[in-house]
Order: sequence, then structure tokens, then C-alpha cells
Amino acid sequence: MEEKPGQDRIPDTPLFDRKRSLGGYRINKMAMGLSKPENREAFKQDESAYLDRFGLTPEEKEAVMTRNWREMVRLGGNLFFILKISAVDPVRITEIGAHQAGMDHDDFLRNRLGKKV
Amino acid sequence: MAKLIGGLGTSHVPSIGAAIDKGLRDTPDWKPFFDGYIPGQEWVKEHKPDVAVVIFNDHGNSFFLDKVPTFAVGCAEEYRPVDEGWGPRAIPPFKGAVDFSWHFIDTLIESRFDPMICQEIEVDHGIQVPMELFWGRPAEWPVRVVPIFVNVIQYPIPLPSRCYEMGRVLRQAIESYPTDERFVILGTGGLSHQLQGARAGFVNPQADQAFLNDIATDPEKLASMSREQYVELFGSEGAELMMWLVMRGAMDRDVVVRHKHYFVPASMTGAGMIVMENKATASPAVAA
Ligand SMILES: [Fe+2]
Repeated sequence: MEEKPGQDRIPDTPLFDRKRSLGGYRINKMAMGLSKPENREAFKQDESAYLDRFGLTPEEKEAVMTRNWREMVRLGGNLFFILKISAVDPVRITEIGAHQAGMDHDDFLRNRLGKKV
Repeated sequence: MAKLIGGLGTSHVPSIGAAIDKGLRDTPDWKPFFDGYIPGQEWVKEHKPDVAVVIFNDHGNSFFLDKVPTFAVGCAEEYRPVDEGWGPRAIPPFKGAVDFSWHFIDTLIESRFDPMICQEIEVDHGIQVPMELFWGRPAEWPVRVVPIFVNVIQYPIPLPSRCYEMGRVLRQAIESYPTDERFVILGTGGLSHQLQGARAGFVNPQADQAFLNDIATDPEKLASMSREQYVELFGSEGAELMMWLVMRGAMDRDVVVRHKHYFVPASMTGAGMIVMENKATASPAVAA
């Protein structure tokens, strides 16, 4: 699923529209699965096999397995679903934010969120 | 007839629930946030509502993308916390105001609003956190609830004006309900935040403060804004603020603001709270 530059009217703000929802369906369904304890266990035991159950493409699999949040979102992953990965492999939401913003975590806290760190 | 005694607005950031669970309430990061809710909790204690109608969105927990209702209304006996990935949170289940829920659904349909009807559904932080912010952590909730789910995730999401109109129908349903129960309405979500894309971490305290003023004094302005304007001003996820309009649409044109609170950032979000009463029926104790 290629993203046409300039397609989102508000810069750097991907809206979860039809195209993203269709493109991201596999990733999001896989992540939704993690709301079941047995699936969290399966993900922990053999992540690759768990992802295969949902038919992820090699590109999608790579994005998930490298925890490339920006890429997951580019491929149609929606944060509310893919965040469940952090229930199995803990990472702070602000780190996910910083990664997408392309910023160092402290820098992100200071300059985006106005925190004194 | 039943009576609307107040309109409350609040954020429903999941980290707030997590902070309570981890005992972080009084840490420097969280104390100023939670302290700001004390007047809201006191208002609730003093005014003792029987029923809380709570407008929120599901965050990919109770609904997946296979079925996305634009509006859904719960009419269950009980709403248990859903497993969002970390196991269901250890808070008491919410008791439903079943009979009123059905009455509201009837009123909606007769007013040409057509919601999904949910007799059995679990609920996520969208309703949990607001309930905890106003009622704390009781062994059992002292109010029964009516959950209204609004889709603000999968586009097309509803128009802000539609949320406002739904509020008018909610008011009509409350005032035609033949009991003497006392109702509060909780509009939840926001304020500014963005979780996705290179603009992640966007917050807009100025717009948030203006929203907290306008929701009381100029709701028509907020109702006439486009979805894009919400996204632009409040961030892609902050656009869920439009759900406060259901609450506001149920109130009179003239309201009295009892309490207001703003704190940024709660996790990645501008967080706010408001307590309003209709001016015409405002409680005399503080009406001075
Ligand atoms: Fe939300």
C-alpha cells in the first residue's frame, strides 16, 4: 500500500480512512488478537508463527518484528490496535510517539509535550 | 419525570487508570492532575445522581474493524471491564440503567437516530476512567450507567453537529422518563492529543482552554466546526472531543460552570474537566 505524499490534508496526520483501514486490516486484526491471554502467550512463544496466522505480508511482518511503529502506521496499523503489542513487549506510549516524530525521547517530552525533563 | 442535574466533561486517558492502579496518584507527575478533580468529586457527592449517561468511544477493545457502529447504546444489566491487552482491570462492573436505556433507544429511533443496540458488551477505559475520576474507587458504583459509544476512529466518523443533535434527543428522553431519578451526562475524551504520524505528541493548550470556555458559552460554534477543524486544532485523536457535544446538546443554552480544571500533559494528552448545571435549575447553594 503506497502512500501518496500530500494526500493527508493536515500535515503529518494520518487519518484512519478507508484506504488505511483496508491496507492495515491484517496488522490490526493480529494486534486485536492480543486482547486474549492465549494469543499473548502465543506471540511471546513464537512471534513469527503468531504473525503468520494472520497472513501478514513480509513487509508487515518486518515492521512488527522490528517494532517499527512509524512503518506499522504507514502500512495502515492503527495505534489503538498496535499498542496492544506493548502489553506483550513493554514500551511507553511516549516512546512510540517519539519514534514516529523521529525525535529523541527526552527531546519529544520537552518539545512536543512541554515537560520539564 | 426524571431530571437532568448536570453536565460533566472529562478526559479519559488510559494512563490515568494505570496511574491509579500503580498507586501513582500522589507522585509529582500526577498529583496536580488528580487534585484538580476533587471539586468535581465533591459536586457528585453533594448532588447524588442516580444515573450517569456516559458518552465515549471504544478504542479497539469492544469493537474491532469488522463491525463499526457510528453510534451504539448499551442496554445491558452489567458492563464488565474489557481486556485491553493487560487483562481486565480490577474495578467493579458497572450496573446498567436498563429500562432508561431502552427508553432512550426508542426516543432516538423516533427522532430518526438509528443506533446499534448492545445488550451484552464489555467496556474499556473510555468509560472506566471518567467514572473513577468522578466517583473514585468504590466497592460498588453508586450510580447506574447508560453507555453511548461513538465511532471516532474509523472514518467516516460522525459530524460534530450530529453529536450535538443527539444530545437534544437525550434531553428529551430524560424529561419524558416517568421516574424521579436524577441524571448526569458525561461527555468524555480529549482534549488535544495525537498518537499517530509524524505530528504525534501534538498538544494545543490554547485551543483546549478555549474549548473549555466555549463548551459552556458558545456550544453552537463548536457544533458547527468540521471534523477536519477538530483534527487540526486538537490532533487526530483529540478530535474525539466532539463527543462532549452530546452532553452539551442535552443542556440549556445558558449554563453555570461549577468547576473547571486543565492539566497538560497527562501522558500525551491535554486533560480537562468541567462541571456545568443548567442556569434555570442550578442548585441554589452555590448559585450566588
Ligand atoms: Fe478516546
